[in-house]
Amino acid sequence: MAEYIVKENALKDFFKALTEGGKRRFLAPAEVSGKLQMIETDPEKVSLDFGNTHQSPKSAFFPQTEKLMAFHKDTAKSDPFVYKPLGLDETAPMVLFGLRPCDARGLVVCDRVFQNNRFTDPYWKSKYESAVKIGLACHDPRPACFCTAVGGSPFGEAGLDAIAFVRDGGLALKTLSAEGGEFLKGLSGLESAEIGAELAEKKQAAEAGMPGPLDQSKVAGAAVMEIYNQPHWKDTADRCLNCGTCTFVCPTCHCFDIQDEQNEKGGLRMRNWDTCMSWLYTVHGTGHNPRPTKTERMRQRFMHKLKYIPMKQDGACGCIGCGRCVTLCPVNIDIREVARQMNG
Amino acid sequence: MTSLPDLNQKIQSAAKRLLAEGKAEVVIGCRQGTTPMTVAPIFCRTEDDCNQLIWSNFAKINLATYLPKYPGKVAIIAKGCDARSAVGQVVEKQIERENLYIVGVACGGLVDVEQIQAREPRPIRAAEEDWATIKLSGDGWSSSLPKEDVLRRNCKTCVSRTPEGVADELIGEPTEALPADDYADLKALAGQSLEEKMAYFKGLVKNCLRCYACRNACPLCYCPVCFVDETRPQWLGKSQDEMDTFTFHLLRAFHCSGRCTSCGGCEAACPMDIKLREFNRLLDEEVQKDWNYLPGLSWDQTPPLTTYRPDDEADFIK
Ligand code: SF4
Ligand code: SF4
Ligand code: SF4
Ligand code: SF4
Repeated sequence: MAEYIVKENALKDFFKALTEGGKRRFLAPAEVSGKLQMIETDPEKVSLDFGNTHQSPKSAFFPQTEKLMAFHKDTAKSDPFVYKPLGLDETAPMVLFGLRPCDARGLVVCDRVFQNNRFTDPYWKSKYESAVKIGLACHDPRPACFCTAVGGSPFGEAGLDAIAFVRDGGLALKTLSAEGGEFLKGLSGLESAEIGAELAEKKQAAEAGMPGPLDQSKVAGAAVMEIYNQPHWKDTADRCLNCGTCTFVCPTCHCFDIQDEQNEKGGLRMRNWDTCMSWLYTVHGTGHNPRPTKTERMRQRFMHKLKYIPMKQDGACGCIGCGRCVTLCPVNIDIREVARQMNG
Repeated sequence: MTSLPDLNQKIQSAAKRLLAEGKAEVVIGCRQGTTPMTVAPIFCRTEDDCNQLIWSNFAKINLATYLPKYPGKVAIIAKGCDARSAVGQVVEKQIERENLYIVGVACGGLVDVEQIQAREPRPIRAAEEDWATIKLSGDGWSSSLPKEDVLRRNCKTCVSRTPEGVADELIGEPTEALPADDYADLKALAGQSLEEKMAYFKGLVKNCLRCYACRNACPLCYCPVCFVDETRPQWLGKSQDEMDTFTFHLLRAFHCSGRCTSCGGCEAACPMDIKLREFNRLLDEEVQKDWNYLPGLSWDQTPPLTTYRPDDEADFIK
């Protein structure tokens, strides 16, 4: 584990160095259409002063529309109408700077969905494994943040290769993984320093104003059907619009729908984000829909976050407390309130 | 000046009375939200529920959106635009007049949280409101904003702030209607080239996620299956293809033409702040010009889109 600082006047050099001379795509919080987003950006445009990015960073690894395979219809060539995989080795590896610790944990939740002992998703894997992820700790968690309630911290380290915090307009930085240590060694702009004590102190200060653990002990102990049949679902669903905003902005929502499209020249297979809040998500070819009303659909999202993911991921909560759905739900359905009802 | 606690008191008593008298099985209104500057719709069935009812500048969506899905007798605590949308749903035969009770509340306009945050970028830990002022506070600071400065766009040209004429009862001192939208920006746009107009409209929706929150929040979008969700046949691709996204917005706007009450619910629900009401405004202007029609103002209007006249001047309709 190595510790460094980057002085304010060396920041741009440091960000440029992260691209390894243009070999890596550089993603960091930067403004697009008036909103801060984790996007591929110019090292000059990085923002260090923000609550969190408007959308989650999952699209870097799991884009809303991802082209999976394609075929052409040119019968003069040898292989018309044969689907060939796309996108696996086409793009340069990434370096992400400024991931919030909650979002890095969100990526870990997704990683265990896309890569586990049953499946490996090559499209996720090729991007995720090669990426260097540098976190930026939160000194000033926002009103809707609750990472500490679900096992995280504004200075959390899970899923990161290194963690930074803002210090005198520049950065202080600690490596966390062997890959992170190797990657950062000797990069321009870095100066060796001792930051451990300061980091611990800042962490404590940031956590101090944040909510305590959300009690999910009863949910963990209860049978699925016991929670599934609780009466509160219907009441919350009354006001849910099934609008799907919560799923689109959530760093751990990972459902997709595969679609084929073609024109006169060829065809494309792609996957697009899908949302369990939608009627279409579960409707069968017969017209039967096993989740016929918004109550079942709304329940699914919260059961998945707070019961199914913990069951499948050794107790880890499927919500990492970023607060995005809490702020953006047009009818204020607050996952903390639902979690309390579930734990009833 | 209207006092909010007083208004809340009146709303709560009205709701309790309606439940007790059996005029409604449920009263739909708003309660305080769980974070600063939010409110949550609430479906009141008990006295305790009714005691949570409030009027708030931070209300987001149009409560009439819930009505077409509601089978029984229902009362709605309605601002001007909510009431107009409810009337529209009766006129369009989505709900029965006798199942609906409108508690009209004179509205002074709602605020736009995005605009507040643009003016006050510090993390807002608490917000208080009265009829004309929004008071904000955070770690070691507090400030206040005149509501007038951060009104929602649609509220600045509202012609129906007080739901007079259609409400079954009215709460609060009636507020003056504001000068109607003059569509000045759209008239300017009309003078531009086709390419410029296309670029303008594509630019409006370029960040759209196609989550369809706008549609789901809209009181007009009550179709059991929306055309974008049809699969047999599938009219529209599902990717972020520019033309598919654009088609969604264009078609939805046409479906809403002459029916939109400018409640702004769609834009308030949109997580990407897309100004999709521009499409509706464009068609509103057309409908007003050609039919002199404003939706939701009376029970016996016939919406232009459902009118048929044998002597219609347009050929294609005969
Ligand atoms: S954002 Fe809110 S209203 Fe929309 S689907 Fe999610 S919980 Fe329901
Ligand atoms: S459920 Fe909501 S708060 Fe939790 S991770 Fe997803 S968006 Fe964030
Ligand atoms: S305009 Fe906004 S609410 Fe509507 S689909 Fe696009 S992103 Fe969603
Ligand atoms: S289109 Fe938008 S402004 Fe018009 S009625 Fe629907 S939600 Fe309201």
